[in-house]
Order: sequence, then structure tokens, then C-alpha cells
Amino acid sequence: MSIPLYILKRILQSIPLLILVSIFSFFIIRMSPIDPLSELKLNPAISAATLKAEEQRLGLHLPLYKQYFKWAGSFVRGDFGVTTAGEKVSDKLKERIPNTLLLTIITILFTWVVGIPLGIYAALNWRKPIDRIITVFTSVGMAIPSFFFALLLLVFAVKTGWFPVGGLTSPGFSNMNWFFKILDISHHLFLPVLVLFTLSLASLQRQMRGNLLDVLESDYIKLARAKGLSENTVVYKHALINAINPMITLIGFEFAGLLSGAALTEYVFQYPGLGRLVLEAVLKSDINLVMASLMIGSIMLIAGNLIGDILLKSVDPRVVME
Amino acid sequence: MIKKILTILSIIFLAALIFTSCLHRDVPEKETQHQNTSSLEETRPEEIPPYKIVEIGGVEYLQSRGETGKPGGTFYSSMIGEGPKTFNYWNSKDATSSSIAGTMFEGLFITDPYSGKVIPRLAKSYSVDKTGKVYTVTLRKGLKWSDDKEITADDVLFTFNTIIKGGYGDTSARDVMLVDGKMPAAEKVDKYTIKFTTPKPFAPFLRMLGFPIAPKHKLEPVTKKGIAEFNQYWGVTTAPKDFVVSGMFKLKEYVPAQRVILEKNPNFAMTDKLNQKLPYLDTYVIYIVGDLNNQILKFEANEIDYLNVRGNQVARFKQKEKASNYKMYNLGAGDGTTFITFNLNRRKNDKGQYYVDPVKQKWFNDINFRRAVDYAIDRDFIVSNILEGVGSPLFTAEGLSSIFLDKELAKGHPRDLNYARELLKKSGFYYDKKGNLYDKEGHLVEFTMLTNAGNTERESVGVMVKEDLKELGMKVNFKPIEFNVLVGKITGAMDWDAIILGLTGSSLEPNNGANVWRSDGTLHMFNLRQGKDALNKADLRPWEAQIDDIFLKGALELDFNKRKAIYDQYQQIAYEQQPFIYLYTPLNIVAIRKHLGNINPTPLGGPVHNLEEIYIK
Repeated sequence: MSIPLYILKRILQSIPLLILVSIFSFFIIRMSPIDPLSELKLNPAISAATLKAEEQRLGLHLPLYKQYFKWAGSFVRGDFGVTTAGEKVSDKLKERIPNTLLLTIITILFTWVVGIPLGIYAALNWRKPIDRIITVFTSVGMAIPSFFFALLLLVFAVKTGWFPVGGLTSPGFSNMNWFFKILDISHHLFLPVLVLFTLSLASLQRQMRGNLLDVLESDYIKLARAKGLSENTVVYKHALINAINPMITLIGFEFAGLLSGAALTEYVFQYPGLGRLVLEAVLKSDINLVMASLMIGSIMLIAGNLIGDILLKSVDPRVVME
Repeated sequence: MIKKILTILSIIFLAALIFTSCLHRDVPEKETQHQNTSSLEETRPEEIPPYKIVEIGGVEYLQSRGETGKPGGTFYSSMIGEGPKTFNYWNSKDATSSSIAGTMFEGLFITDPYSGKVIPRLAKSYSVDKTGKVYTVTLRKGLKWSDDKEITADDVLFTFNTIIKGGYGDTSARDVMLVDGKMPAAEKVDKYTIKFTTPKPFAPFLRMLGFPIAPKHKLEPVTKKGIAEFNQYWGVTTAPKDFVVSGMFKLKEYVPAQRVILEKNPNFAMTDKLNQKLPYLDTYVIYIVGDLNNQILKFEANEIDYLNVRGNQVARFKQKEKASNYKMYNLGAGDGTTFITFNLNRRKNDKGQYYVDPVKQKWFNDINFRRAVDYAIDRDFIVSNILEGVGSPLFTAEGLSSIFLDKELAKGHPRDLNYARELLKKSGFYYDKKGNLYDKEGHLVEFTMLTNAGNTERESVGVMVKEDLKELGMKVNFKPIEFNVLVGKITGAMDWDAIILGLTGSSLEPNNGANVWRSDGTLHMFNLRQGKDALNKADLRPWEAQIDDIFLKGALELDFNKRKAIYDQYQQIAYEQQPFIYLYTPLNIVAIRKHLGNINPTPLGGPVHNLEEIYIK
């Protein structure tokens, strides 16, 4: 099957999946006894007429299935609706998505740049002390709960004053030139990236190490060595290419995690990202906002897998697409 | 083997430690009140005469009342939550949006943060005629919007007649101004004079004239396009240069989920005694923080200039105060109330079932039962242990900061378990040998008490109240549940027994509590009427009807002293009937940096009510 045809097929397959996801998400959120108007209702200054008008505006008086179709209809037309406070959902997402992408992409970049070489190095020094030391360090990073680590760093920032407490930019940001802007953002990003980096470094490094070790054990590597090829050629030309395949699949998954992966860290550091927004939206049962971000998440998961598969195909011609 | 035993022993030891600490929380030991706030004298502002008006170059400026400062600098504050939803004051439904937009737009009057009286702001003066229905308001001359257009009577008329009456934006402004279902009329007399006529004398009206005035030349074209268009206008995505303001600050930059930056409005017509223009500050930065903990961290990291300090933090901040660069102020009791209420509803729902179990209905509707609960609660203990002394016991429907408070009633009564037991016996309740309470028909007194989960203060109060009522022999099942679910129960299902909850109050206007007290109010939670029940007033208790009357009369009386006498009656009835059993009010404590000048916090205005006068020393 040619690649464009394959993509088309996968897209068609994903439509019923997305519909199912949307139905489940919508009804589970709506079935929870959370009332988006509860804060208004407990405000002595709000009249019954205002409450009624709000109910009409949000469509809460309609039966559940009608609310769903109303939402689905506008979603298909590309309209994400408004939040309970009346802002456009697309505006809210537009504000936050770039920030979350910035945080996660930088984190992923760092973990890959550090994790892959570290994994290779550990595999080549299998069972030597250096391998053990790397294992211990990365495992400790993986074992510390991210929110706890984030809190510790936050306390550190307050006590030393070396890092800002939360946010992404300083108040004077708009008056800075590009160089100081980059410095300012890096200053704010340092701690959250450090948390996420420590958290995911271990799994990536372990994965790479394991893959490479498996490959190094295989027969064709033994053959290559027996033929008298130099160790460098064996490792970097033959072993590495085969060990990298599973990592490509990982990229697909990470693509899906881009938007949602850092919610907890975002919350602790008060980072202006999507995670914090969606968490608060769920607590308020802000259906349009929650649904939009859930759907985007699902679409990214599907797209990520697809991209992973296609990359895999282009790297490894043995993979057959069906 | 020895290793194993040691491991088991240490696990038991750890578990024991954890359990004992839990025990300690559930059954608090009675200890003497700690006095960590004794060193924090309550701030009592002196009465300061209202602003003077001085004319400079044809413009009537307000002259500030504070000391003379120097211009320049930035003031950093913060707000908890998601940040503003809109910068259009007339469309703001949440406190965050209103307070930011509130520094950008001025009203005709403000409440004097020192005296609580209504004093002119955009207005120069006003008069009320003998009927108490006609208010004539004169504007100051030479006032300008930030785009140099003059502020005139037309802007005022537009605000009242088009925006509020027309139902644009947030309609709650219209709700509170309706008298007998009618909006007060506004007419133009001349360029600077407006005449308001209310259908009946309506006491809260003057304070409502504090509602910010909208720039007609900017908003009129938008109102012509319809309500939907208006509700989107001046939203959070609007470019800052598009705003036209009358207040001391103008929007400079909004970064979602991070901060709002406001800058000085050069057209703001206020000066200090040396004729320097106010505000002194060049910029006002408001950080948007997600939660209380982050706010505290930001204050400790010196990123923000003031902090509202909550109960359990007060002692720590007080301790660090000497070696720090901030000063703490005690602004006295806040206007919020915390209470227990019982469900007095005796009606059936659509399916013909009672909202409240008929056995329980009898207890809850028994005044001796409610009074016994009132007398059994140890408010002092709650204040000293949960609020760590940073609060006051509360007995009245009006909050302790209210200018309408009945001070006699506010003294309350001491806890008296014996009297409480007597009251119960009077109504035929009796005890078994184990001290459990039964009603005269032999039902064990057991009910569920709810509060919103996550509010640790209320959760601890619930545990204490449960213990107090246990001493009366009542079995209380205390359950914190999700806030939204709780509100759903109060306003919808109505299938609850007792609830611990708090409401914000108003120190200045008892009529703002009408939704709670009037029998047709949307928050009349102890006996909420909805749908067809709302029309059927047959089951109205006589005292509920009395309170209805009082709220009607109170809003129409203009003389403060007569009004106060009227609202004293409702506090008296509430005190006798105990539909809400009030528990406590926390104190307002703020910490403010010492490098700021003109910091005169008041109980009514809070820490930075005089933002235009605040300067950097």
C-alpha cells in the first residue's frame, strides 16, 4: 500500500474512534454532579433571572443528548464554542498551547540529546561501574515524584532568589530586546524543564540501553565481529540502526504527550500552560474547554502514532504497511 | 529473624505515630486560647474629611487626603485564580474582572473607605429632594477620558439608560437597581447635571451610583450592534491601546495566566496638596497566581508587595515581621460569615416524596432543637484552635464589620450545655443510659452534616461541631463533599439535613443579603422554594413572613437610623429563630512592604483602597 493511501485509511479508521472518545468524555463529564453555575448560585447578589439567562446561554436546560449534538455539530464545523465565562475556547487554547509546546519540546529535546548517548554509553560499558552509576542516578530521577521535586525546587527558588517563582516571562518582558527575551524565558523555564527532564531521562536512557544490548547479543552482530569488522563499525553502523527502531515508535507517543504531559509540573510552577487551564476547566465542568482539549489530545495521539509508523517505514524498509 | 522482628516493630511504631496524629486531629484537646494576634492591634482609621475640589486650568481636580509622595515606580500585587475574563466592566461577572476593570473606570460616587459614607468621585455634589425619590447629581467640570474626550452627562445617561436598562452585559447590575420591578429613570438637565428618579424612595440607590460610567463615544456604536456583540467587546484579546478609561490606570499589557500590567492614566483628575498629578505610580502589576501557596511563595520571594495572610500563617508571618521588610495590619473582622443551617423544608418533591425525612423535619423545625445546637457549640474553641485566634465568634446575621450590626446581639452568649439539654427536654427529647438522644417518639437523633471538601478550615470546624453535638447526645455523620455537588444539593435536590457553609456579606448594605433572607430568594437555602412551590406561601413560617416585610421596608427607608432600627429587627428574629446558626468570622490580616508610602488600610477599603496615593518611598 502506498503511503498516501495508507494515511487516508488510517484517518478514516480514526473517525469512529474519535466519535466514541467524544461521546464517552462528554457524558462522563456531564454525568458528574458538577454544576458549572454553582459559584454564581451561591452569590447572594445574583438574581434568579440572571441564573436562568446563564442556563439558557450555556444550553444547560436542554436534555443531555441534545447538548451533545449541539456541541458535536459546532465542533465538526471547527467552532469550539465558548467557555462558561463567555470567552472563545479557541482563544484560550491559542494563548496556552504555544507555552506548553515550548516547555515540552525543550524537555524532549534535552532528554533525547542526553538520554540516547547516555543509553549507548551505558550499553557499551555493560556491567561496568560506570553503567551502574548511570543506572542509579537516572533511577533516582525517575523515582522522585515530579510534584514533590517541583516543590523542592520552588522552595529553593524562594530561599535563594536565583529563580523566579512561576510564570514564563518577567513584567518588563515586552521592553526587552530579543537577546534578553531569550534569557528571560530560559530563566523561567529552567526549573520546570529540570523537573520534567529528570523525570523522563531514566526511561529513555534505559530503553536505549536495553535495545542496544539486545541487538549486540544478536547473531548478525556476532557475525560482523567474527568477520573482523572494527568495533566502531559494528556498533555505530550495524547495531545502532537496528536499536533505534523502537525509539521511533516512542516519538509517536511523545507527540501525543506534548500537550498534556506536564500538567502537574505546570500546576506547581504556575506555568501558563494548557495543563493548568484544563485542570481548572474540569473542576468547573467547563464542557467546551474540556472537550476541545480532550479532542485535540486524542487527535494528536492518533497523528503521533501515524507519524511514528511512517517514520519507521522510511527507516526500516522491512516494515510492511497494511 | 531478628531483622524481621525489627522491621515489623518499626512498621508498628510508624503506624502508631500516624494513627495518634490522626486521633489528635479528630478529637482536639481543649487548651487555652493562644494569643498570637494580641500583638496585632486592630487598625482603626481616623475619620478623614472628604476630598477637596480644586480648580486648575478649568479642570476640577479632587485633592488627595494622604501625605505628599513622589511620582514614579511600580507596585506589585497578585490575584488568585484564572485571571480576568474581560476588561469590559459592564460585562464582568467575576470578582477578578470587576476589580481590575474597577481601577480603569470611575463611578459617580464611591464608598468612603474611612467612614463608609457615600462620597462624590466623578460627581462634584448631589442633592435629594424632599420626596426622597429625585437625586440631582452634578459632575466635576473638565474631566476627560483617556482619549481627551470630555466626560459629560451624556456618558452617565448612556450608562444607565442604554447599558443597564437595555440588559447589556452583566444584568445583575440591573437586578439590584430594580425597585418594584422598575428601573430608576435618568434624565439630562444640562451638560454636567443628571436627574435620577426612583419609583419609590430606595435607600441603596445612592451607593449604586458608584457603578462605573461608560464612555459613550466608544461603546454606543457597539450597543447598536446588539447584546452579543457588546458581550464580546473589550475582551481579554483586545489591544491595550483600544481602551478608553476614566480611572487612575489604563491597560498596558495582559499576558494570560501570568500578569496584567496597568499604567498611569495622565488624564486622571486628581492631585496631591502640591498639585502633583495622581496616581504617583507609573505602573501597577497584578500577577495572576493559581493558588494561595504560590501567592505566599511570591510574597516571600519579594515578587509582590502585599499579601492577605490567612489564619494558620499569621503567627509565622508575625514572628518574621521584625527582621523583614513588611508590616502587618489587622483590619478587623471580615464581612464573610460561617454557619450551620438545618433544612427546614417540609414540602414534597415532584415524585411525592419528602425532601427531608418527616422524623427529622420535626427535629429541625423545633426551635428548641436549633437553640440547643446553638448553645452547645463552643465558638471560642473553634476560633482559638482552628483560626489560631485570628477570628471572632459570630452570633448575628449581619457580619461583625457591618455598619448595621446590632451590637447588643453580637455579644452573643456563652456555651451552656446544661441549658441546651434543658431545651431539648422541654421538647420531649430524652436520653438513654449511654447518653444517646431520642425524640419523644423514640427515634434516635442522628443526621448528616455536609460541607464542601477541600476547604480544610470548614472540614476542621465540622469535626469540632460534631464533637460538640455528641456531648448533647446527637449522632452527627459529618461528610465533606465536592463543592459543586453541595451547591447542587442546596439549590436543586434539597435532600440534605444540615450544612456548614459560608457566604460573603456586605458591610454596608443589608439589602444585598435579600436573596438569602427573602422567602422567594434564590439562596433562601433553609427553606428554598422552587418552581410551583415558589408561589405557594402557605407553609411560610410567621417569622419568615416578618423578615420578608422587613427587607421590603428596609430598602425603602432613607434615614440611616430608622433603617438601622428596621434591620435590627431582622437580626433579632434571626437570633431567636436560628435558621442559620452563626459560628465565626475570620479577621482580615494583611502584610504590606515598608517601602510603600501612604499605606492606610481600613476595614472597609482593604489594604490598597487609596491606590492613587500610594507611592514608593
